[in-house]
Amino acid sequence: MTLAPASKPTRRVIADRMLEAGAANTDFVVFESDIGYSTYSYLFGDAYPARYFNMGIAELGTMAAAAGMAAEGRPVVVCGYGVFLSMRALEAVRSFVCYPRLNVKIFSSHGGVTAAIDGVTHQATEDIAFMGTLPGMTVLVPCDSASATAAFDLALGADGPVFVRLMRDPLFEVYPAGTGFRIGGSAMARKGRHVTIAAYGDMVIQSLEAAALLETDGVEAEVLDLYSVKPFDEAALRESLSRTGALVVAENHQVRNGLGYALASWCMRNGVHVPFAQIGLQDTFAESGSYPLTLEKFGMDPSSIAAAARAVIGRKKRSEQ
Amino acid sequence: MTGNNPEMPVGRIASLEAHARDIRREIVSMVHAAQSGHCGGSLSSADIVAALYFDILNIDPARPRMAGRDRFVLSKGHACPVLYAALALRGYLPVEELSTLRRNSSRLQGHPVAPYLPGIDATTGSLGMGFGQAVGMALEAKMTGAGHTVYTLLGDGELDEGLVWEAAASAAKFKLDNLVAIIDRNNLQNDGYADDIMPMEPIDRKFEAFNWRVIKIEGHDMSAIVTALESARTRSGKPTCIIAHTVKGKGVSFMEDRREWHGKAPSDEEKAKACAEIAGGRS
Ligand SMILES: Cc1ncc(C[n+]2csc(CCOP(=O)(O)OP(=O)(O)O)c2C)c(N)n1
Ligand SMILES: [Mg+2]
Repeated sequence: MTLAPASKPTRRVIADRMLEAGAANTDFVVFESDIGYSTYSYLFGDAYPARYFNMGIAELGTMAAAAGMAAEGRPVVVCGYGVFLSMRALEAVRSFVCYPRLNVKIFSSHGGVTAAIDGVTHQATEDIAFMGTLPGMTVLVPCDSASATAAFDLALGADGPVFVRLMRDPLFEVYPAGTGFRIGGSAMARKGRHVTIAAYGDMVIQSLEAAALLETDGVEAEVLDLYSVKPFDEAALRESLSRTGALVVAENHQVRNGLGYALASWCMRNGVHVPFAQIGLQDTFAESGSYPLTLEKFGMDPSSIAAAARAVIGRKKRSEQ
Repeated sequence: MTGNNPEMPVGRIASLEAHARDIRREIVSMVHAAQSGHCGGSLSSADIVAALYFDILNIDPARPRMAGRDRFVLSKGHACPVLYAALALRGYLPVEELSTLRRNSSRLQGHPVAPYLPGIDATTGSLGMGFGQAVGMALEAKMTGAGHTVYTLLGDGELDEGLVWEAAASAAKFKLDNLVAIIDRNNLQNDGYADDIMPMEPIDRKFEAFNWRVIKIEGHDMSAIVTALESARTRSGKPTCIIAHTVKGKGVSFMEDRREWHGKAPSDEEKAKACAEIAGGRS
């Protein structure tokens, strides 16, 4: 696999795009809760001080204020860490942003164990479950610079609340600049015919690495990037599974109530019966450490994904016999 | 209450100051080894934590779960290097283990996790929530008639969290005079000066209005720290808040009062320079 290393993490890409967009789109404002030097929202604040509100370390109050301003008709961006945005601020997001369908766009850094080093209190490993459960919430998870830039534009352009999950550290560039992305869309990160690996965010990159490992055994894995986690691209999933007949869902999240559960439920409801496996945290908390070693320890690294792929392919063969 | 207390034996203070220097050295060394972690807020509270762990707290490293021991909750959990250093130097864990900070399988997680390491009373790292846990511990002590004291250390930025004021109100309602909240008033938080990011002054009058007893000290004056902590221990029917005026990064000239040293790891060169300054007694 020869992907170019990313020079910036997706959290920084979003902040740069926000700064750029701020010139032409003079409508939106940005709320921050004292981690502007980590989300890089300070760049916007320095350029547009009158449109930047640093509310201090007060994530719930920040979200309530964001809802209030959005209720007045103004599009509002809220930046922060996933754990605090998806948990401390959850009730405000649910009842006062999603319920009234307000234009609040949440840019949420430190998704999954990409913040491994900081430990469990800083790892958003249930955010997709919380945010994906809220009626009317759109959930986007870019994996690289091109998709993160697009995610900012899609979020601002959408009518209603959007949650965008971002990463702490730079990984790799997957898509050429200018690639088209849409809400409800997907990207074929790699074409294959033996198994579909559905993933989002950093796990697209881990899955591409897994596909490279599988290739050495003659296994052709397809990597379907469901960057639009909610709503997800049902047509692309159906089409891919019709060719591969086996599904692994790889997510940097609890296996419970994330994308894996959503896809399994969709398969059941739609009569798509394929061998199925999930990569993610298996009902456990992670720990502090390096990102790659933490993935390895919790069975989310490329070789674990490859093993899961081999296993579902094995089950497919048995059921076909 | 500030300045030197003439009653205080000089040896006691000098020895605590030496412990604070050791703690500072270990903070810088472990964050350097991890190449990740929070120096500034650990260094600003090193003198307070030295006084607690080497003098004030009734604890026994050989019996970390001893009944009736005093409790310490690091509500500003990101400053755990100061806690890990104090615990190691006090004998709860080998000092060499400090270099495993933030590594996979280490007991020294990025933020403190109670069950991982003996001597840690509460899991923290999400600001505002350690204070509430300390209230619960003090309530338990009141309910069972246990005589120990619960200490908690908060950041001044942490005071932005509404949760802090919920905890403050409940502590006063239940007359938790066995609870001592120490505020590390270094006037810096993540994004800049605390007074700019979210003005919270007058902090003393806020706590007084919440029906707390308030003591203000210079947070690097060891004799003032010890005097305040001893006086806070006396039961008065009210919880006590000690506002300790400190300097973020204290003891390392190039880290002092610098926002960027909130959560940055020193290079090899910076570590050597920092350790030399600390050994030189600048703290
Ligand atoms: C609920 C919550 N929000 C945000 C953070 C991220 N964070 C870690 S430290 C910090 C600044 C803390 O400032 P302060 O309380 O003054 O601590 P100190 O200056 O003593 O380091 C922030 C915002 C967090 N740990 N918890
Ligand atoms: Mg501070």
